[in-house]
Amino acid sequence: MNRPPLLMHVKIRGENGKFGLWLPLFLLIPLALVVLIILSPLILIAVLVLWPSGWGKLALHSLPASWRVFCSIRGLKVDVHNPRDSVYISVV
Amino acid sequence: MTENKKKILEMLADKKISIDDAYRLLEVVDTDEGQASTPKPESEVKAKPKYLRVNVIPDPDAEGGSGDRVNVRVPMSLIRAGIKLTSLIPAEAMDKVNGALRDKGINFDVRSVKTEDIEELIEALGELEVDVMSGREKVRVFVE
Repeated sequence: MNRPPLLMHVKIRGENGKFGLWLPLFLLIPLALVVLIILSPLILIAVLVLWPSGWGKLALHSLPASWRVFCSIRGLKVDVHNPRDSVYISVV
Repeated sequence: MTENKKKILEMLADKKISIDDAYRLLEVVDTDEGQASTPKPESEVKAKPKYLRVNVIPDPDAEGGSGDRVNVRVPMSLIRAGIKLTSLIPAEAMDKVNGALRDKGINFDVRSVKTEDIEELIEALGELEVDVMSGREKVRVFVE
């Protein structure tokens, strides 16, 4: 599995001004982990309740799948610009 | 010593071949092994694709020019993870996705995407290169 991304760089420029942000994703990971641990009893109950309908299994699998997707976005770059506006997103 | 060389020397010991024949055969074996162990030139070794790139470059001379210039780089790992996500789509949603694709003229069953086929698909993408030139812009899709 890939290493999780560390930073996300967002730059938006429009007619009204510009905005840039370096988002430290590596700081969000422990935060998300804490939230996940706090919510884990509720998640477990939800999975057990939904298990007979088949949605519980999907919910359970969606957690590691979401983590996999999160780890995979490292290297993503989106750069769209025209003379008036521009959007730049880069994940490193 | 390789198996082939051993066999040649055994044949020589059994006097099945002459010294000259053995010498010639050993030379041939050495040449073959040398060629096999020589690494292929870098151009021949196909590197695994890492990114899918989409570039849209507007034509500055076109009517109403100065359109959006787009440069997108998507990691192959994200495509791989995305394909794996399809296995989490519930059956009811799959039908809706298939219906929506059919409406767009794409006759493709999303259920047919198997996680085992992903690597083959990604490898096949390595050959992908699409260049579209329209009156207003140039679109280029390729992998790197």
